[in-house]
This record gives sequence, structure tokens and C-alpha cells, in this order.
Amino acid sequence: MLEISKRRFVQLAGLSIADKIWPKWLRAEPQMPRRDGRVIIVTFGGGVRYSETFAPEGQRNIPRLVGMRPEGYFFENCINSGVLSHFNSTASIVTGNWQRVDDFGFQPPAGVTLFEYYRKQTGAGPMDAWAVATNKSFASMGASGDRAFGLPYGANVVLPKQLLLEAVQDVVKKGAEGGVASRENVLQRLEGVLSEGYEGVGWTIFKAGRTLDKQVRETLVRGLVEYINGPEAPASGDELTFFITREVMREFAPRLMLVNFWDMDVAHWGSYSLYLNAITRTDRLTGMLWDEIASNPHYRGKTTMLVLPELGRDGDQNAANGFLNHRSGDPSCRNMWMLAMGAAAPKGHTDRPVYHVDVAATAVELLGVKADGIAGKPLRELLL
Amino acid sequence: MKVSPKLQALIDKGLLDRLPVSFSSFCLDQMKDWELLFPAERSYHERLFGLLDRSSAESVEALFAPVREVERAMGVNEKTFPKGKFTLDQVDFLNRNPRYPEWRAAIAKVFAQVDPVLDADVARSGHARLVVVMAPSDLAADPSRMWLRIASRGQRVALDGEFAPGLLGSVVQDFAAGKHGGAYSSWIVEAGSALARVPAAGAVRYSYEGHAPYRKRLMKEVQAVVDAQVAPGPRQFSERLKQMKILASEGEAARDPLLAEFARAILLSGNGTLLINNTFVEWATVQGIRRARPSVMVVGFGIRNKVKPFSSLLIYADQDTSNPIPSQMDTLGTYVDLEVFYQYIWQECEKYAEYRNNTAYLFVGDGMDEILAIAPADFPLLNAKGPVKPSAVAQASKDWLGV
Repeated sequence: MLEISKRRFVQLAGLSIADKIWPKWLRAEPQMPRRDGRVIIVTFGGGVRYSETFAPEGQRNIPRLVGMRPEGYFFENCINSGVLSHFNSTASIVTGNWQRVDDFGFQPPAGVTLFEYYRKQTGAGPMDAWAVATNKSFASMGASGDRAFGLPYGANVVLPKQLLLEAVQDVVKKGAEGGVASRENVLQRLEGVLSEGYEGVGWTIFKAGRTLDKQVRETLVRGLVEYINGPEAPASGDELTFFITREVMREFAPRLMLVNFWDMDVAHWGSYSLYLNAITRTDRLTGMLWDEIASNPHYRGKTTMLVLPELGRDGDQNAANGFLNHRSGDPSCRNMWMLAMGAAAPKGHTDRPVYHVDVAATAVELLGVKADGIAGKPLRELLL
Repeated sequence: MKVSPKLQALIDKGLLDRLPVSFSSFCLDQMKDWELLFPAERSYHERLFGLLDRSSAESVEALFAPVREVERAMGVNEKTFPKGKFTLDQVDFLNRNPRYPEWRAAIAKVFAQVDPVLDADVARSGHARLVVVMAPSDLAADPSRMWLRIASRGQRVALDGEFAPGLLGSVVQDFAAGKHGGAYSSWIVEAGSALARVPAAGAVRYSYEGHAPYRKRLMKEVQAVVDAQVAPGPRQFSERLKQMKILASEGEAARDPLLAEFARAILLSGNGTLLINNTFVEWATVQGIRRARPSVMVVGFGIRNKVKPFSSLLIYADQDTSNPIPSQMDTLGTYVDLEVFYQYIWQECEKYAEYRNNTAYLFVGDGMDEILAIAPADFPLLNAKGPVKPSAVAQASKDWLGV
């Protein structure tokens, strides 16, 4: 008969019921750097409220995310405690520090971005970190002004909607036959803008200089062609953002990406139905991005996708004008959610408060790099 | 700065100098274009500063102590907040300051103490008011699917016949000529022209369709400023926009500097008022209520067009000319949009003492045989036994207003 001491018995018994009584993260061993982990951060840029997304009455607008949630880890209470403007909100996400810089892109983020930490410490090349965004002010989102880091370690920043705007404006101005009703006209101008002055649309692509590297250009053109010939006749900026993102993933397989969707900022126009349509479109595109991660061998099984709104919007009871704006600072503006999917995400959920600045702190851990001076805390639920 | 003699006397006494600078600068900024303020706005400022003047120095100091405290913590000083200056720089300073939420809370606390006193003044001189919000005839929704966000607050009233916009003309006109009437007391805001055909002398009128010449010129001029890149930042851009005033040939509002400036501000407020008819209607209505506190407000929504592929990205482009695809009505989208706007308009009114407990809200549909009435219990229609004739709605409204 096996004899065990009382102390040993308690130890073993404790271990056997640990699963039942301790959260998994409390039992986790210190982690080794995740040398081949990949991170894709997807923001619902422009802002979206809980009430139109994960609140019971909003879930019909986001069928893909609702379907994905049981497979991932859901943070029910993800808070933006910073400035409720677009640039500062997203810059807080990528730096891990609350940002209070000029909101029109005249200043880069005030703290080192996770792109810079990642590239400098790992020696990753310029094609290994991308930010695909929308708002022109986001052109400076890829790198801080920190002398020890900065542009040499930043992300490539591409702004597909700005490219589309330039092309559509040209087509309208030139009055070509069929105008913008001809998708071929639009494609020709998109390619034209890409050849003639991509920097004019705010893009920063490293190593390529004034002329786009052939491989980069071919990749982007493939994204444009897929977009123009898409079976659902896509026409929005976010759809182009998706096609460009997917081509970049297929061609360069960057380990770190920020994808900033933006269509839902149409709420500023004051049409609730257009706002809801945009949310549903972003939900669909986010689902398609997850499908790509799941099917692309560079990403399958080693990628963590973090999906979160960059901010909310004013509540219906608010003094401003409800969903149109995001200036009040009320809970509808600040209290959001985050869904983590993939490699680092166990199935589960928590209602403990987490913060937008925690995203960068978590991402650097997932990438196996160290970052000093990040105010956010790594999300222990994702670091098992 | 020119303000009323009453207010000037208070300023001369140094009343504003005794207040926290972020508060006093904001108020001075609000008052700096005194001639462009509605009577209700002028009255508010006079009553606010009159109250502060009548209050003891200790109580004013106690009232503003939390604001002073947070100002110190924020680093408010003569450099960041030059006396009397409240430009985008100061807004930016506040917005980006880590203690901005505390500042907002401190300011809200001031108004939470002041407003009940000011509201009591207003309530003592209150009178009956009427707000009519009309859905367009092309909105193919059954009345039972209308006004769902606010229906529980009122009573549906069946009509013996269909409601028509023409019924409202004499209500507006008679009120404007009555004892509570006068300048800026009656407003008609609409997307199209159905209400424009209703004779209502003395009413303030804004119409998205009616302002088409001004809107289209604004779009061109704004696009030209963007293209020329002569306004490198929001401050310079804002200054440019202030110069784009309505011309006499572009609408009646040009005759009155106050109404002309209101039209400019509504169309260039940064939201979708240039682009979407119903956004214009909602924003003009909400701002009209907030600023002018009209006693009669008649609001006519329209059908929004579908967003056109690609060209809709160009927010300052005329969609009729920039895209060969014909414009199409979006009736379903409009229905969804308006359900929110009915709520927002009702809510906006209920924020103000002038409207609370004094106002009959009638939500009607052009051609519909049912209305929603949200009103005090003594509003005549609420006691109707069975369907009422549409003309009786107009009469009940007149009886309510006492005209």
C-alpha cells in the first residue's frame, strides 16, 4: 500500500482540484518568449457602442463576431480611459500608454510603438510590421519620434481609403465615360495613383523610397484587382482595407499587423441605418480576416487576433447628439469590449476591467520581446 | 464685446473675474457675438450671471471651488487660458488633459446646482408649447411600427382620415401672431417643401431642399479650400468656414443676420447636414430648440437617398452630378434613421424647463391615420373617444396653445 504523508496528500489533493478552484492563469508557469507568435490587432475604428455590438439588442449587427466568441476569449469590460479622439485612441492601443498628442496627425505617437519594440529587438525587416489604416492622420501611426527607435523600426503604413478617395476624385474630375459607375475606370485610377505618387496619399513604405518596390506594388495591385472584381461589388473603404490586408498577409506574412477599419465613422453623417450597415460590414470583414488566418499556413495556429473598438460613441441619453459623436466621455464612449482569437486565446470570458493600453503590453509578450515604459499590463488570460 | 446693459454692468463690476478662468472664458466666448444670440440665449446669460451676482461671495466661492481645484491640477494658467479666450487651443488643452473627465464633472456639478434655480424662474413664466414631428408620405411603414422608441411615453390616437401638412399652417401662424408669439417663437424645419407651401407668416423656416443653392455653393467652396491646401489645420479651416455666409439670393435666412449665421453653423457643423436631408432636419431642430427655445416647432422629415458607390466617399461632391447612377430613395434606411431621431428630438426638448410639463408632442405621418401624442394629461386629444378627424388635431393644438 502506498503510504503518503498528510502533507503530501494535501499537496496532491490540492493539485487535483486546482483546475476547479483556481483560474488557469494563476497556475501558469513563467513563459518562454513566443518566438514565432504572430499578432494581428483589428480595431473597429471610428467608434462603435456596446449597444450596437455585444449588448443583447446589438448582436444581430455582428453575427460573425457573435459566432466567433465561444471559440475565443472575451473581455467584457475593455476601457478606453484616454482622449476620446481617433488618433489618440489608436495610438494608445499601439503604444501601451495613454496618448495626448495632436489628434490630426501632426505629431507621431508620444511613446514607442509596439512595431518599433518588435522590429528593433528581433531584427525583423521592414516587411514584417504593417499598419493598414484609413484616416489620413494615421500616416504617422507606425512609429514614434523616439530617437532610439522611430521610423527605422516603424511599421509600413498604408491607407487604402485615401488611395480610393484620390482615384474616385480623379475619375469624377476627368469625367471619363461611365464615371465612377465603371469599376474599370476606378481600377485604372487606383493603379495610376499607386504609380504616380503613393506618398501623396499618406503611405509610408520603408526601403521602397519614392518608387514602390516591385513586389510591394504587385501585391497592392492584386489587392485592388480583387477589390474591384469582388463578387459582392465592394465599394467601401473598409472592403479595400480588407483586400489589401489579405494580399499583404499572403505575400509578406508579417508577424505584426494593425488593421484599422473605419466605415462605421459614417455615424457622424447622422444616419443610424448607414452606421448599422457599416458595423455589419466590418463584422463580416473581420470574420473574413479570421478565415484567412485560419487557412493561411503562415498564420494558422500561431496567430493571436485581438479585435476591439478604438472607442465608443455617445449614449442615446447624452447631451451631445447620441450616436453621431464621441465627445461626452460617458460610459457609452469609454466602456467597450475586446475579443481575442487564436493561438493565445483560451475559450472563456471575464468581466474584470482591462484597458486599451493593455493591448500593446500583451502583444509584445506574445511576440517575445521586452518593452520598458509601457503603462498597460499584459493580459494574463492570454499568456498561459 | 457688446452685451446687454444689464450684463455689461455685471461684467464691469468684475463678476466674471471672480470665477474660474475656464468657466468665465467659455461664457465670454459664448457671449462675444451677442447680436447673433437668440433672445432665449441672451436671457439665459443674464439670468445666470444675475443669480451669481445675487448670491453671497462665500456661496459662489463654494460653488466653484471644485472647478478651481481641478484647474490647478490641470495646469490652467494665463498662458494656457488667456483671459476671455476660448478657442480651439483651449478646447484642445482641455480634451488632451489627463484630468479632463474631472473638469467635466466639476463643471457639471456647478450646473447641477445652478440650473434648478434658473429652471424654477422659467417654470414660473411657462406657457403651453407644441412640437409636431412629421414622417414623409413615402415611408411605407404601418403605424403600429412607428415611433417604437418613445411610444410607451404617449398615447396613440386613431384618426378619422389622413393627416396632411396643410393642417398645421393656421396653428403656426395664429401662434406667431398671439401673445406668446413674436420673433423666433415658431419654427418650421423640413427636408423637402411640403411645409413651405403652408402659409405661416412670422415663422422661422429652414428647408434642406430650399437651401440647395447655398448647400451646393458651400460644398464647392469647402472642396476648393481642401484642394488648395490653404488651410493646413482645423483652426485655419474653421476660420475659412466662418466666412462662407448665405447670400440674399440663396434664401430668406440671409435677411436676418442671426438666422443667416444659424444656417451657416448648421450646414458646416461637421456632421452630415450638407449631405443628408434628415440629418439637416434633426440637427437644425435640436439646435433650434437648444438655442432659441421656440414655443411651436414643426418638423418635417423626408426620404434619404441611397448612398452611391464610390462617389459617396467625396463628401463635398454633389452626388447628382458626380455619379451617373440615378439617385434612389432608401425608404427602409430612412425608417431606421427616423426612429432614432424621433427620440432625440423629444429628449432634447425635455432637457429644458421651458418644455417640461408644458409641451404637447405630436408624431404624425403624412397620409397616416394614426398619430402618437406625448403630452400632459390635459391635452385635449388624450381624452378622445374613438377616431378623431385630422382637422380636430389642428383645433386641439390651437386650444392647447390658447390661440
